[in-house]
Amino acid sequence: MNKEIAIRVTHLSKKYSIGKKKVNSLRGALAANFQSKDSKTDEFWALKDVSFEIKKGDVIGIIGKNGAGKSTLLKILSQITKPTTGRIEINGRVASLLEVGTGFHPELTGRENIYLNGTILGMSRKEVSSKFDDIVDFSGVEKFIDTPVKHYSSGMYVRLAFAVAAHLEPEILIIDEVLAVGDAEFQEKCLGKMKQVSEEGRTVIFVSHDIGAIQRLTNKSILFVNGELISFDETSEIVSLYRKSNFSHSYSYLNENMKNGISKVNIITSTGSYIHEFGKELKIEIEANFIEKYKNVALAIQIINEEGKSIINPLITEEKLDWIENGVGKVICQFNYPRLFLGIYTLNIHLGEKSSNVHIDSIENICSFKVTMDNVYSDYGWFKNSATYLETHSWQTIKEIYESTY
Amino acid sequence: MPNKTELLMSEHHKIIDASHSSIIPDFKELYRYKDLFITLTWRDFRVRYAQTTIGMLWALLQPVVTLLILSLVFGKFVGVKTEVPYLLFAMTGMTIWTYFSYVMTNSGASIIASQGMIKKIYFPRLIIPLSKAAVGLIDLGISLLIMIFLMIFYGIVPSSNVWLAPVFLLFGMLAALAVGIWLSALTVRYRDFQHVVPFMVQIGLYITPIAYPADFAMQQLPKWAATLYYLNPIAGVVQGFRWSIFGGEAPGSLMYVSFAMIIVLFVSGLFYFRKVEDDMADYV
Repeated sequence: MNKEIAIRVTHLSKKYSIGKKKVNSLRGALAANFQSKDSKTDEFWALKDVSFEIKKGDVIGIIGKNGAGKSTLLKILSQITKPTTGRIEINGRVASLLEVGTGFHPELTGRENIYLNGTILGMSRKEVSSKFDDIVDFSGVEKFIDTPVKHYSSGMYVRLAFAVAAHLEPEILIIDEVLAVGDAEFQEKCLGKMKQVSEEGRTVIFVSHDIGAIQRLTNKSILFVNGELISFDETSEIVSLYRKSNFSHSYSYLNENMKNGISKVNIITSTGSYIHEFGKELKIEIEANFIEKYKNVALAIQIINEEGKSIINPLITEEKLDWIENGVGKVICQFNYPRLFLGIYTLNIHLGEKSSNVHIDSIENICSFKVTMDNVYSDYGWFKNSATYLETHSWQTIKEIYESTY
Repeated sequence: MPNKTELLMSEHHKIIDASHSSIIPDFKELYRYKDLFITLTWRDFRVRYAQTTIGMLWALLQPVVTLLILSLVFGKFVGVKTEVPYLLFAMTGMTIWTYFSYVMTNSGASIIASQGMIKKIYFPRLIIPLSKAAVGLIDLGISLLIMIFLMIFYGIVPSSNVWLAPVFLLFGMLAALAVGIWLSALTVRYRDFQHVVPFMVQIGLYITPIAYPADFAMQQLPKWAATLYYLNPIAGVVQGFRWSIFGGEAPGSLMYVSFAMIIVLFVSGLFYFRKVEDDMADYV
């Protein structure tokens, strides 16, 4: 095998047989996705004939929706589960980080858990000892290092766990969605640390829903759709392809399953297609179907930008808006003058019972629409990512002219 | 430090091939993960008596109470006659049995109990039942101490065969490990074994010559049933261990049935474990 190659994957497939026992072992998202499509067969191909090569020192992002096969790929690369067909060659020591704090035990102290977690992640005890001070320093929990971690706040727990992981020094690092935890400041610190790792010439494979983080960290990415590798290219290309792939769902969403939940979502833009002209009336129509009877059903709408960030407060229906009991109910949300800036947006919709806090259904990343600003005049033109929203404003001037004294 | 480790790492080359999966247990790899084995053993030991008021005393209390009950029921009520004081006689059996049942109980559920780790990280899964067997050595040590204390108390001098005692102990550990490996692998596929194990522990106490001499059973059983009796791997070990300490008549050749059983169970266990190891993350 070529010395330049870190990982070579050829014709890799993974099949899950969905029996009663194995349903537990699949991630919930995967199982749910499967059931809605063809609930009669008991086989599910999480990966279909995937081949690619990763060069040493590359930092690769993996993009795809839930159930696209990202996590399965990482599990196979980390040897947690074996492939059904295909072959993988790996050149270099692999450390995988599919979770922060694997093996942490609540009864043990921070110090003990550093050793425990470090060896679980593949460090030797000697290695952990030599990095111990750095780890504690990075975590910022020095004061509590000899306290059992069950007394830690969740923030402290995550900090300590990530600090251990951040000090791994493998040649190939595989990371799954672990940055979703922790506060913003600490996330920033972790991203910085990862950037540093990648600059040291290590190979990094990185899965995240945070497209922004992928754009910042990786130079190339792989797009997965339903277990198939769709494209392996520059990250910027992949991200725009990923956005476009949402368009195939179009600006409406339809779920014909007879179950409690969101059955139909339509976005009514100013042009009637997925293009919406800035500032014009925008409507979101949502239909929900209920077999059972719920009281005080509430609905929340989030508008998500290209980086996966929610850009307005969740719009939650009021309690007195009595729109459904059982049967089909429709609710329409109208924006008279939306100020969304140039860009592509998607919707996340959540449904729940307000009185009991029961979560009924959530749909994410649907109804992409694009806001254009050709109808708004600007002296300098509009640039993507230069703003997130446009505010109406007016100018006032107050003049005081100095009298000429000479 | 990092430079040295990096040098070692760069020689690492791994091939995962769906069509050529190895059926032979990889001991070299197991050795590479020795630090994880040490850490997990130490964790289980640390956690075992955490938050209990009397802590380590439990490890002493459990065998002592069982011993007292056995000597009350079998020594006093039933009146089992033994060549050495009954308390000491039962204790030699208990020493092996306590360890065996500890490993059997804890290994059986060990893989499922560690599913959080198994789904998120790779390591040779065999480390989990191995670490349970290592934690049990504490109990074995404590039992041996009680036994030695009783021997001094009764003024019993060990027989000239005592040099064989460590060999029988070793076979006892091997038997425990063999059954532990089998049960841990089986429990992943068939959860039913979770219910079978406590049952086995309960029955095992009676079908093993712990509270009574093996001769008792031999006198009552026909020849074929006697062979069956020794298919219990721990039966021969208990009898041999007792003989190595107290001397007397050497155990019959049926003892070797137990030993052969241990070897068969251990080797087949390693292979069966290897076979299901790759899929464990999908099953737990």
